[in-house]
Amino acid sequence: MNEDRLNQLARRLGADVAERLDVEATARKVVQRLREQPARRAIWIQQTWVRIAATVVILVGGAVVASRLTPGHRPGVSPARAHLVADDLSDLSADELREVLTSFDAIVAGDSVVMPESGTDLNELDTQQLRALLRSPEG
Amino acid sequence: MAQPLARTETAPPDSALIAAWQAGDEQAAAELVGRHARPLARFLAGAGAPQADVDDLVQETFIRAFRSVNRFRGRCQFRTWLLTIGGNVLKDFGRRAGRRKVMPLDEGVRDGRGDPHAHAEASEAEALLLAGLKQLPRLQREVFLLRAQQGLEYDEIAAALATTSGAARVHYHHAVRRLKEIVGDE
Repeated sequence: MNEDRLNQLARRLGADVAERLDVEATARKVVQRLREQPARRAIWIQQTWVRIAATVVILVGGAVVASRLTPGHRPGVSPARAHLVADDLSDLSADELREVLTSFDAIVAGDSVVMPESGTDLNELDTQQLRALLRSPEG
Repeated sequence: MAQPLARTETAPPDSALIAAWQAGDEQAAAELVGRHARPLARFLAGAGAPQADVDDLVQETFIRAFRSVNRFRGRCQFRTWLLTIGGNVLKDFGRRAGRRKVMPLDEGVRDGRGDPHAHAEASEAEALLLAGLKQLPRLQREVFLLRAQQGLEYDEIAAALATTSGAARVHYHHAVRRLKEIVGDE
């Protein structure tokens, strides 16, 4: 079979299918479906935005919960501030350390500092214990 | 509602109908369907669409084309662009139906006009050709049909398939060589 014969056969392929096609009915159906399309598209867009909004809420909510549950996270105490307090502990005397610790207690409202022993008075702690106590919030 | 396209003695070009459709003229869309539905049906049938599904596939192709007509840049004719969309629609159809490799040979794709004896011989040859087309890679099959069935130039085919004219020519010749092997001596 040569190329011309192949082309001749190819031109005949589907000719009767095309002939039987009801073109006017096809055009009517296409136009009808196109009329319905904008409404479907609007619904699709609406649904998509709802899904996106729900995803954002879940992600943000999850991030907030995760950050609150993370060890070391202390609401109300700036990590930078605790770090600054602890940085210069070596230079402070016992009285100065007590003063810092008292002010630090006021900052953290007593909800997170671990005392060496329950009921221990700050006045009974020596310099080393006070330093350890002050550093404890840093984790 | 947009103003319907003014009907004149000479048929408006496709580009005018496309612009009218974009402006909301449904009659322009219907006219485009009227112009191109049959060549599209022939292309789909030649590419392996079952006869019973050709009507649905033609509709689906036009729906996709009209919905994405903003992407039609006019680098090729509207019909050529439409045929390539038809190829995609048929591919999706085959994937959905799981028939891509086992699409039944459809008696309905053959032309039933003419002398019965000649028709019987031609039918056999066409059946072989259809079987051969189904064995070709999609690009070769589509290039062959666009060239041999639809009579398009290589430049036009290349523009529609986003390739070069030379590449389209190569695909066509590979298709012809392969089809000769498959169809053999008729």
